[in-house]
Amino acid sequence: MRILGERMSEKQISRRKYLKYAAAGVVAIAVGGAGYYYYYSKPTGTTRPIRIGLLAPFSQAEGPDMEKASKLAIEEINSAGGVYVKEWGVKAPLELVIADSENASPEKGVTAVTRAIIENKVDLLIGGMSSAEVVASQVPAIENRVPFIITGASTHLVTRRGPQGNYGGLPQGSPQRIEDAEGMSYMFHYCTTTFHYSKSIVHFFGEYLKPIVAKDRNFKLAIIYRDDPYGVGVLNASKSYIKQDNLPIDIVAEKKYPPNTTDFHAELTAIKAVKPDGVFVVDFTVGTAQVYIQGQRDVGLNSMYMAVEVCEQPEFYSLLGKWGDHQLLESKFGPYAGPPFYLTLMNTYIPKFKQKYGVAPGMMGADTYDAFYVAKDAIERAGTLDKAKVRDALESTKMKNMLIVTQTGYIEFGKTPDTYHEIAPITFMEQLIWRDELSETRPLIVWPEQVPGIGVIKQKDFELPPNYVSG
Amino acid sequence: MIDTVTLALTLLWGVAIGCIYILMAAGLNLIFGVMKIVNFAHGQFLMLGAYMCYWSWFLLGINPYVAVLLSMAIVSVVGILVERLCFSRILGTSKLNEIFISLGLIYVFDYSAVMLWTDKPKNISTPFEYSALSFGIVSISYDWLISIAVVSVILASLFLLLEKTKVGRAMRATSQDGVAAMLMGINVNRIYMVSFGVGSALAAAAGSLFGIVFSLNPYMGSIPAVKAFAIIILGGLGSISGAIIGGLVYGLAENTATFFLGGIWRHAVAFAVLILVLIIKPTGLFGEGK
Repeated sequence: MRILGERMSEKQISRRKYLKYAAAGVVAIAVGGAGYYYYYSKPTGTTRPIRIGLLAPFSQAEGPDMEKASKLAIEEINSAGGVYVKEWGVKAPLELVIADSENASPEKGVTAVTRAIIENKVDLLIGGMSSAEVVASQVPAIENRVPFIITGASTHLVTRRGPQGNYGGLPQGSPQRIEDAEGMSYMFHYCTTTFHYSKSIVHFFGEYLKPIVAKDRNFKLAIIYRDDPYGVGVLNASKSYIKQDNLPIDIVAEKKYPPNTTDFHAELTAIKAVKPDGVFVVDFTVGTAQVYIQGQRDVGLNSMYMAVEVCEQPEFYSLLGKWGDHQLLESKFGPYAGPPFYLTLMNTYIPKFKQKYGVAPGMMGADTYDAFYVAKDAIERAGTLDKAKVRDALESTKMKNMLIVTQTGYIEFGKTPDTYHEIAPITFMEQLIWRDELSETRPLIVWPEQVPGIGVIKQKDFELPPNYVSG
Repeated sequence: MIDTVTLALTLLWGVAIGCIYILMAAGLNLIFGVMKIVNFAHGQFLMLGAYMCYWSWFLLGINPYVAVLLSMAIVSVVGILVERLCFSRILGTSKLNEIFISLGLIYVFDYSAVMLWTDKPKNISTPFEYSALSFGIVSISYDWLISIAVVSVILASLFLLLEKTKVGRAMRATSQDGVAAMLMGINVNRIYMVSFGVGSALAAAAGSLFGIVFSLNPYMGSIPAVKAFAIIILGGLGSISGAIIGGLVYGLAENTATFFLGGIWRHAVAFAVLILVLIIKPTGLFGEGK
């Protein structure tokens, strides 16, 4: 019994001990597990900067603007700790890798992008300016499955020339078609296309200006354009929207000229002869400014001139002088339309940019700046730098608008064939108003009144130019 | 149906733009006529002239039309330096040397201009920028009128220089036969230098006026240079009167082609006129066969 009793007693002690041991075991397992979790959830390899390649033309004004905007975005992101990569468990800084296409040359662009991918091992690409440059330069990114947020190029082909975009309407056998659907899924377009701004411009003419200047007849529009893919693309898109949306517009003159033309007297004299209500000019800064000037100063074509957003450059205003007064400019980012600006972020971005670089930011830089935040958001949601997962995260992006205004108020990439991986930007019309103190004109938004997610963006009522003669 | 006013305006602009081509072509022709060298970098003197005018106006506040004279003086010195340092060294050697020297100069001048003034376009404002002279429904800006007047004065001065001065006679003599001129005691090297200087100054005047009525950038010289070559071939190599008539014909052909056929025909028709003239008269309108 004693023995038994002892045994019983031992058994009781044993149970107590057992409970103690069990409790200790649980604690040990918990501590060990926590330790294990802590140990193994730490970065598995050495953390490194996240390398972002910037494709930009550094022999043109746009390249340095894009670089400045990139550096500003990187500085802001890095000073807030960097980009959180869940897989590493830490925030990593962004690092800029320059891919210089010089004067937006397709050949230089291909070389620069290839080098950025192969030698610099970039995690993601941002940038690009001209359509020809991007169409060529994106090929190495497609082949190497590198996510590319394209912030320039007005052609829709940069995301739609694969099967997902129904080959962008390219005919079968076209060398521009890309059959690699997987590769094309890495391309994202954070920029307006020819379709976006052409639609916006003809709707402004047909719906807004027509009732003002041509109440009882169709609006008579003259289009003067560069004879290159950009000019022809805008012409075709404009004509197609006039027809498709049944707009009350008659195109009374279509005048094309070789790129780099400086003398437009003959074209403008011919346009004046058909008495248009408005003149739509499709060129870059210098050509457009010359059309505005020669039309009014020399030919006496006192009409309403409309320029495309690529002219939203400081030299456009300086070249125009007073000839820009009360004329129009379509835009998607108006660094001169303020302060106060139509977007809250612009009230900090623009002074910060000016303070840091001593110049006003350009339009190309605005897309680029936003794209760095889009990339940050995608990497953080992907939790990894695995390119396929970053691509997936980019596809499901839903961020509030930054510097570029979109139709939903959010940055989202389209999924249908005719919007594949494109954002849906809103473009607006600015009227240039002479400012004596600057000896230049400055723009103010006249249309549309308000946009989703932001509210009112209109800054003034539209007024006909004082010298305006309708058709 | 084209109304007469529209047609008259088209021709007016043909003559107006032709005037600037004339200055450019006259300078090129002078250099070719006297030195027998083909200077492909002549357009760069136009560009340099435009920037000198721009600088004089922008930095010194000089009236742009007065700045044309300053620009001519500065560019003529640059022209003389180029002639002394480059062309005089290879005169009489292979034509290829001339071609490659002038092609090299294009790059040197263009990239130097980008470094000095950046590649952003610039414009020159005049006191008459927003004024025009109206004749009923036709009006022409004072800047264009003054430019045409400046071209006329410069061409008249060139005519006087060539016809009424000793240097001009020496230039004409050298142009006709360099060896004979040398035997007659003319310092041919000096005449080469003067001719190149005057030719460069004419390009500078063209560039200044071009900058006033259009705008300027470092690459602005290339297209007018090609046109100037077409004009001197059209008018006849070495003939100043040929350059004047050729410039007007070219300007008119360019503008009427653009008006009736569209801008893409601008150069095609102008060059078709050139080909036609050469087929009918291979030495050009005022050129003399040897």
